[in-house]
Amino acid sequence: MIDNPVIFYSASVFIILFALLSLFAKNVVYSLLSSIVVFFFGALFFYVLGSEYNAIIQAAIYGFAVPVLIGLSIMFGGGKTNSKKKHSLFWYLPLFAGIFILAFVYLLMMSLVIMPDTFNASDVLQVNAFDTIRTFARALFVDYVWAFELVSLLLTIVIAGLGMLRVTKHRGLRNSRGGEK
Amino acid sequence: MEITMYHYLFIGLLLFLIGLLGSILVKNVIKVLISIEIMLLGININFITFAAFCDNIRFDGYIISLFYVGIGAVELAVALYLFYLMYQKKESDNIEKFSDL
Repeated sequence: MIDNPVIFYSASVFIILFALLSLFAKNVVYSLLSSIVVFFFGALFFYVLGSEYNAIIQAAIYGFAVPVLIGLSIMFGGGKTNSKKKHSLFWYLPLFAGIFILAFVYLLMMSLVIMPDTFNASDVLQVNAFDTIRTFARALFVDYVWAFELVSLLLTIVIAGLGMLRVTKHRGLRNSRGGEK
Repeated sequence: MEITMYHYLFIGLLLFLIGLLGSILVKNVIKVLISIEIMLLGININFITFAAFCDNIRFDGYIISLFYVGIGAVELAVALYLFYLMYQKKESDNIEKFSDL
């Protein structure tokens, strides 16, 4: 675990700021981009907490795969937003941003005053990665093997279900076209 | 200035509250899904925090968070497909128009 106030406070400020931005941005694409930043900062938190494996999984799935899915659905939707009503909270966003930036600068200065040699690279290297992977493997394939198999089954069912939905929808369309003729 | 467990728990709580606020206030379906994912990220940070600070032997929180990532991705895929089907019918991404199936 990396016990570093500068990393923690800067990551906290950015993750909260981008989470707010992802909700109250007018354009959906901006909101998607902000959410990617949020997920990457989440991965950074996992890494700081000493869980490299979770950080890699989070960055791979939520940083790359999930945004691709959401981006595809935005493309299918034509990128239009029909909700034209502006949220009043959107106008408070610069205020939130200012408060967070001020808090960030204050905390950065405080942490530099209290701990001058804050970042130490040897902390990163001291993480016992091999032991963590062994522990993970034992937990996944021995202690939680039933949960692991259930999640695998769930994933298979979802893939089959989506395929079935797609096939049924195509058949329904073909039948309706045949009825029209 | 030492970073304690409560700092991480507070960040997880803030993320959860932001996601909850977004899922209640925002009308766009995609943004609602993103809000739900942010809520799940807050919960996940709490799991990892408890595993890192309280459980140094078995790492149960790490494993549960791995399962969350798998199930969260599946939930998002299904929700996006449902959104796609609904969008074809309603021609809108406003969640208030999706009240009837």
